[in-house]
Amino acid sequence: MEDSYNKTAINGLDPKFKFEVIQAGGEGLSACYQCGTCTGGCPSVEDMDYTPRQIIRMVSFGMREKVLNATAPFICASCYLCQMRCPRDVKITDIMAAIKSISIKYSNSSGNTRGQAFYTSFNEIVYNLGRLFEPMLMLKATFRSKESFGYKIKYLTKSVPLGIEFIKHRKFSMKPKKVESIEEVQKIYENVRKMEAKE
Amino acid sequence: MKYSYYPGCSLESTSVEYDISTREVFKAFDLTLEEIPDWNCCGASSAHSESYLLSLALPARDLAKAEDIESTVVAPCPSCYQNLKRVKEYVEKSIENRDRINKALEGTGLKVEGKVAVKHPLDILINELGLEKLAEKIKVPLEGLRVVTYYGCMIIRPDGSYTFDDMENPMTMDRITLTLGASVLPFTRKTRCCGGPVMVNNEETALRLSYDILKEAKEADAQAIIVACPLCHLSLDAKQPLIEKKYGDKVNLPIIYFTQLIGLALGIPEERLGFDKLIIDASGITAKYKPKKKKSNKKKTTAKAKSITTH
Ligand code: SF4
Ligand code: SF4
Repeated sequence: MEDSYNKTAINGLDPKFKFEVIQAGGEGLSACYQCGTCTGGCPSVEDMDYTPRQIIRMVSFGMREKVLNATAPFICASCYLCQMRCPRDVKITDIMAAIKSISIKYSNSSGNTRGQAFYTSFNEIVYNLGRLFEPMLMLKATFRSKESFGYKIKYLTKSVPLGIEFIKHRKFSMKPKKVESIEEVQKIYENVRKMEAKE
Repeated sequence: MKYSYYPGCSLESTSVEYDISTREVFKAFDLTLEEIPDWNCCGASSAHSESYLLSLALPARDLAKAEDIESTVVAPCPSCYQNLKRVKEYVEKSIENRDRINKALEGTGLKVEGKVAVKHPLDILINELGLEKLAEKIKVPLEGLRVVTYYGCMIIRPDGSYTFDDMENPMTMDRITLTLGASVLPFTRKTRCCGGPVMVNNEETALRLSYDILKEAKEADAQAIIVACPLCHLSLDAKQPLIEKKYGDKVNLPIIYFTQLIGLALGIPEERLGFDKLIIDASGITAKYKPKKKKSNKKKTTAKAKSITTH
């Protein structure tokens, strides 16, 4: 099996990539008939490097490198409009998320884009606290990303007035809340990681 | 009626006002909410970027805990609502699925069966309580108030087997708002994404999408936008000053949770609905719809006692 797949790999295309994406939760991929309904409604498409329709096709073709380096999945706002409207029931939003998860898995931490940094930080916080503490997420994601130091400072400075507003309106306590049986949440993370390594 | 209640992370931080106003409104109708003990984050739209299984397993712990309390769990945050609903539907689909999730829960002492219903407060208020019962309790009709309703993405999407409203043109919040006496203006961006989920990693897109919504509401001559999602609220309310600065446009439009609006019409004092937590000041609206006798009953605690004095 392995071998016959490798033989069909031409021009850097990876015929297994499609299955990798399906395995990561991207169902319905092969049903796409390229109508473009997804792209037509997408609110974020003008900021994407490839449109949702193109991403689906690129995954089917096995354009692994291009897809994993595309910005589109990280620009996707997970609004599910495309998925709801797709006449072929392709789970486009789930495919975008699946691509994100694969791209994060294979990125080395030094090459963290802001998008990758955001999602990695999110899971780190939930692993440690069991709950999300939004200010911490913003700080962590900013520090982890590979943007220049100057940019980070500018970004954080811009966010200061908002932080002040939150404190003024007593939106949250300064101390993050934590799940008491945090070991249960961590157990779930560990179970999932073990199960996925096997599958 | 009694429900188990899943507030979620946003409702205990950046959107406390949604939490307290939901509790107040449910209390006013004798609907009891029992918080799931020691709940954890549902994974929002981010757990899936680590793994699909994780995005199901995190809310599964909450669902398993909810199963011990009541037959229906209420989740006001649309992201949490979707995630809980998704794992429920996944578990229900096949025995293999259920076993897979329970394997992920191994060692926590919890098991999920998928037997609880997952519902949004809008669904409960419209379909279980009903608009007639809602109308009976109105003390301060919101006459003269012009608003648009903004649903965002997650309440009625993506594609679960159970939805309580139309996916392209939802009406539940409109019907509630009309029942309260306010008028609802036509609004084409009802379910257009606010950009919230990419606020941190792609601010450009996020601010543009939010501004589109604010601009249309402003042009429609609305006095407020009524919402049902913490992330939409954050994008439109807390980020509004930033948006105004970026686009050089003074929007100044209060963003109010539908539960706050209901509370206002029920005559619940604004402090108990968290109006003071809104970043864009809504006092222009709350001042107009105050319960008739506003003095001397500040310390009284039960809603009932107040309802006698106010009418
Ligand atoms: S809407 Fe569905 S079928 Fe049409 S291009 Fe997009 S994914 Fe393919
Ligand atoms: S889910 Fe993502 S790709 Fe689909 S319409 Fe929304 S932003 Fe576009």
